[in-house]
Amino acid sequence: MFTELNSILNASPDTITQGEFILISDRKSDASFLIHHFLTFYLKGCQLITGQRKRSAGLPGGTERVAVCFESSRNQHRESSGPRRRSHGLPQRSCRRPEEPLRVRSVQFEQFQGSDGAEEWGPPVLLVDDLSVLLSLGVSVGAVLDFSHYCRVTVCSQLKGNVAMLARCDGEEEEDDGDDEGSERLLKGLTHQCSLTLHVQGLPTGYCRDIHGQVEVCWRRRRQCEGKYTQKKLFQYKVHDKGASFFAPGTSSAVL
Amino acid sequence: MLTELLQGADAGGFVIIQDSIRCSGRHLLKSFINAALHREEAVHVLGFEVDEEELKDGVKGSAIDRVHFHNAYTDPLGWTDHPAFTVHQFCLEELTHLVKQSSHSRPATLVIDSLSWILRHRSPTAVCKTLHQLRKGGAVRAIIALLHADMHQKGTEGSVCHLATSVITIAPGMNGDQAVAKITKRSKSGKVMQDEEIFNINEDFTVIVQSKLGPKNTPTEEKEVDPTANLTFNLRLSDTERKAKEKLALPFVFSKEKKTALLHSGPGSGRILYEPDSNDDYDQEDPDDDLDV
Repeated sequence: MFTELNSILNASPDTITQGEFILISDRKSDASFLIHHFLTFYLKGCQLITGQRKRSAGLPGGTERVAVCFESSRNQHRESSGPRRRSHGLPQRSCRRPEEPLRVRSVQFEQFQGSDGAEEWGPPVLLVDDLSVLLSLGVSVGAVLDFSHYCRVTVCSQLKGNVAMLARCDGEEEEDDGDDEGSERLLKGLTHQCSLTLHVQGLPTGYCRDIHGQVEVCWRRRRQCEGKYTQKKLFQYKVHDKGASFFAPGTSSAVL
Repeated sequence: MLTELLQGADAGGFVIIQDSIRCSGRHLLKSFINAALHREEAVHVLGFEVDEEELKDGVKGSAIDRVHFHNAYTDPLGWTDHPAFTVHQFCLEELTHLVKQSSHSRPATLVIDSLSWILRHRSPTAVCKTLHQLRKGGAVRAIIALLHADMHQKGTEGSVCHLATSVITIAPGMNGDQAVAKITKRSKSGKVMQDEEIFNINEDFTVIVQSKLGPKNTPTEEKEVDPTANLTFNLRLSDTERKAKEKLALPFVFSKEKKTALLHSGPGSGRILYEPDSNDDYDQEDPDDDLDV
């Protein structure tokens, strides 16, 4: 968890805003370090559900509150992990409708709610790393957007939890292009759905040893009482072995 | 022009609010909802993208009873057993039945949030047909729809906007509190008017138009700056220098004095003596005589 990012987002593990849909995106860069941040951030206060394409061997200790599942309509995986972790696999859906491979049912999320009865867990959090893989598997952009919508409905609105999804984009940003590439259109569709976006990309001036890229943070769909309804901030970052530091453009420790 | 649209003077109007990922148009949509509520109208909302709590956030008082939220957010595709409203129910019969369920005698205003959701799952032809029938049918007084312009191809966007009586395209302003609205309005006579305004929205969803950027306004001319001022060297000319400069004859300009000197050679200059022989066709007349040189 990056404390500087928490102060930028005005967030704390003790006071988590419920019902947030966070979109993490990157363009010709790697934003997976932000997924790690939110993973650690939410571990402190919430029940965590992660949908990951990689094995979750990298989860930090004390993860008894994590339920790990792999969501797939074709394959069912079961994660057999250590004694301090619980693992669940989503039951394989009968593919009555092959054109809807990502049909979400709220009952599957409810399975994770206090199933052992031993302790009360906080609101659930869904992390998806990463959504762009579904496009490469042949799922249409529309189906992925429907899936993200239903995740938001189930987790954010009904279960009062939070959702964080990662989407990658390889090409250059194109404006006013009616025939968008799939990842561009997916990114735009997710941006319209989310309440907070963190977009990671390289520096426009090229490679720098001390600054690994820039993050644009955009708050959207805020409550009217919070004032400005669209707010953007740009930060630069550097990833270390044990974390990442965030600073305003031009204030890198190498410059000052 | 934005204020006139909010006042909703035209019945049978179809307003499209176009936004993009750079600037959301949902707050302006809520302003239109509030303006309709102030006119004591009933408002029916097809909510696909946000839930009822978020849409009604900011609507206060008894007016909230006149907002009929039709929940297309929870299950718009009918994946559960009992969906409230699905995208496949977007047709004239279903919508007319939906609107007439409210007990208001006056025709209601239909708000669609958003049209992009419907266009992702229905053909543009069917959507345009339904919108056209709704406008002409009389069940609704006016239709206000939110459209994410960057989610559709130009052809689809153009087809839907062609049906609208007014299209408001939202873009971010200079600061986060302001936005720019490019408005295209088609009157019943066929006249098309365009305008561009900067506005911001207060906490009670009232719209304040800050300034107009339309074609009527000419930008104020800046005072010309003297480039020769405040220099460490002199670029200016005194009066004598200016006169000498004006008198100077440029080398390649064919002035009257040069022409006279060439045509009428002075004493001591060379002469050409020509004695034609028998084969020459020597004409005494000057072939250039007819030229006005």
